[in-house]
Amino acid sequence: MTTRDDNVVIRSLTQIGACGLFLLTVLAAIPRSMRHGRETLRQIWFVGAMSLTIVMTCGLFVGMVLGLQLYDVLSIFGGTSATGTVVAIAIYRELGPVVTALLFAGRAGTSITAEIGLMRATDQLDAMEMMAVDPVAYVAAPRFLAGVIALPLLGVVFCAMGVFGGHLVGVTWLGIDNGTFWSNMTAAVDVHKDIINGVLLKSFAFGIVVSLIAVFQGYTTPPTSEGVAYATTRTVVASSIAILALDFVLTSFLI
Amino acid sequence: MTQRRSYAVGTGLFIVLGFAALAYLATQTTSVANSRQGSSYPVETRFANVGQLKVRAPVKIAGVRVGSVQAIDLVPGKEEAKVTLSIDDNHKDIPDDSVATIYTSGLLGDQYVGIQFGRSKNPVKEGGELGLTRPAQQLEEMLGKFFGGGSAPDHLGGTFHVTGNFTNIGGLQVGAAVKMAGVPIGSVDSIVIKPGSSEATVTLAIDKRYSQIPDDSAAAVFTSGLIGSQYVALQPGGSPEYLQEGDELVLTQSAMQLEDLIGKFLVNGSPSNNKNGGASGDAKPDNAGKK
Amino acid sequence: MTDDAIVRVRGLTTVLNGKTIFDSLDLDIPRGKVTAIMGPSGTGKTTLLKHITGQMRGDAGSIEVDGQNVPALSREKLFELRERIGYLFQNSALLTDFDVFENVAFPLRQHTKLPEELVRNIVLNKLQAVGLRGAAKLMPTELSGGMARRVALARAIVFDPALILYDEPFVGLDPIALNQVLLLIRTLNETLGITSVLVAHELAAVQKVADHVYLIANGKVVAQGAPDTLANDGSPWTAQFFGGQPDGPVPFQYPAGDYATALGFPGGKA
Repeated sequence: MTTRDDNVVIRSLTQIGACGLFLLTVLAAIPRSMRHGRETLRQIWFVGAMSLTIVMTCGLFVGMVLGLQLYDVLSIFGGTSATGTVVAIAIYRELGPVVTALLFAGRAGTSITAEIGLMRATDQLDAMEMMAVDPVAYVAAPRFLAGVIALPLLGVVFCAMGVFGGHLVGVTWLGIDNGTFWSNMTAAVDVHKDIINGVLLKSFAFGIVVSLIAVFQGYTTPPTSEGVAYATTRTVVASSIAILALDFVLTSFLI
Repeated sequence: MTQRRSYAVGTGLFIVLGFAALAYLATQTTSVANSRQGSSYPVETRFANVGQLKVRAPVKIAGVRVGSVQAIDLVPGKEEAKVTLSIDDNHKDIPDDSVATIYTSGLLGDQYVGIQFGRSKNPVKEGGELGLTRPAQQLEEMLGKFFGGGSAPDHLGGTFHVTGNFTNIGGLQVGAAVKMAGVPIGSVDSIVIKPGSSEATVTLAIDKRYSQIPDDSAAAVFTSGLIGSQYVALQPGGSPEYLQEGDELVLTQSAMQLEDLIGKFLVNGSPSNNKNGGASGDAKPDNAGKK
Repeated sequence: MTDDAIVRVRGLTTVLNGKTIFDSLDLDIPRGKVTAIMGPSGTGKTTLLKHITGQMRGDAGSIEVDGQNVPALSREKLFELRERIGYLFQNSALLTDFDVFENVAFPLRQHTKLPEELVRNIVLNKLQAVGLRGAAKLMPTELSGGMARRVALARAIVFDPALILYDEPFVGLDPIALNQVLLLIRTLNETLGITSVLVAHELAAVQKVADHVYLIANGKVVAQGAPDTLANDGSPWTAQFFGGQPDGPVPFQYPAGDYATALGFPGGKA
């Protein structure tokens, strides 16, 4: 039993270490991957633009449900006018970056892992090696970069949709005054603290972590179909844990 | 190649959308919007206490936003805050004797500066000053005032002592303030339970300057604010006789629980009569502050 | 053996996970010829190709390709060398994102800045050579196994390499496709003078195309020679391999302890 536990610990440590080293490899390959700028652009399309629908839909519903719940609770204190403020702050600081990153891990992260894993399983990565094309620079780095660029943009879109959803429920349905809703929000939300340090910084950090995990899992997949399936699962699990743990660390520094 | 171009176009659209959303968030839902309202002119005000007022907080007239707080400084050498208001140019007609007050928007809201117009024909000039101000009221003080309290006890000269019996003094402690109309007039000297009695006998030491307190005044134990300390409030009665050293206050109102206070405040602001200990004086909080 | 060898392997020793793959292997690939490397499954034939291209490194010994010692090359030098080596993967390894044309054009686009017209001409020329110019717009998923392999071949020769390595080029092909690939290997060798190394099991196919055959087993070359004569050279290895006998120098039983002991009979010898 102890040996099994040891193995898990050692295996996790090995994975984390290998992942860290892989990050260095990818970072080192980024200047070389600039030659494949088009590929990066194409990947932003795949991981970013293709995730827009799910991110926007979820953002809208998260905003709506927050609006509903907050209205319900705040009405106890006669503070429903603060609904917009709390919706905005909750979304900007926490829900926006975290939920977007989780969605991104599920939508784009898995597809990155599966795609690279399949390339590994069908020797495409080796074929690139043989054609004297560095697969880290051509395959890994563009996807990594695309994730790092796309996630903050998606996070911002999520937040906008969330605020819109909160407005929809709070103002259109529940009848909070439109001006109160916005002015309380604008008075309380701070660009630096809530948007730059909230949405953007967190999304950026999550972008690095999720993209790295997705690319790493794909790149180190055992070249079999079960290997790819397993790696995809691991991407979601590892990303989710990493996102939430990192969120706590970041929040404790930023707050 | 067309395939590649469509990726580029789509990606470009995505990035533009992302930045548009960012611009929207940054300008429409945050306080950046407050500082981008066209040209404006500064007006100075001085407050004894700005409370939680922050730079970029709104300035409102009759609830309508007309500008924002530009700067908050300390007046050199004084315990006074200088608040510079930035008022939009299309609101040039503010009388120079208007009163600036720091309000809180709701229980949970942020603070803002409200301006009530005076009667002067002269509008306040650019860079001018609004001389009449009311400082920020802490929530505790507001509640306190609401229920007849004030701030900390004054320094005292000579005192005379009166006693009162309460069924429940709550968290009242020796040294707590005694206030009338919100003004500190003395302090609690001792709290004892007399032998054979179930009531607390509280001895109040009252400043001799306040010798003309009617002897049928009511004493009540109040709490200043949600978590504030408790104090004794005196509500003057109508008797021509004044309180003397050693007199007893017959009408007393015991301490109320915090829950009651908040309940009263939130429901409609007029507390139900929650008298204990045979007090007949009705504690009308909305009048108590003004008397 | 041959004076003009494009690949010269000397004393190659490789141990993977405690298993000796190569045990001081010596081998020469003659320039301009078709050389077949044969052997029982698991003897490391594909691994040998990966050593030649520098994807794997041995524990000892040297591998000279065109005069350069591959294990000692820096990554840049290795990449330069690889541009002169074509490699045909067993499962073709076409890039699934691109159509046939772009797959063949991929090495050109990555390593050159040729004008689009020239790229087009080179790619169509190579596709014509493998008979698939008409399939230029198909995606890899739309190709049969044989077609995919021919596309991969077109991609492998797009830089007119000096050496092509074929990893199991005949596996999973129907007789028609197999003969098409055979013909291509032979044609490319004869018309372009490309040295070809192929790893294969199919004796009949190898006999049609190869000039020289190495038989590898247990990490060493156990027999070599022209394909026609090799099968009858009298060695027990060739006799078993080409005769297809289930037991012989390559045992039927994977190395294991004593059977009776494993079953728990007390009488088993230790």
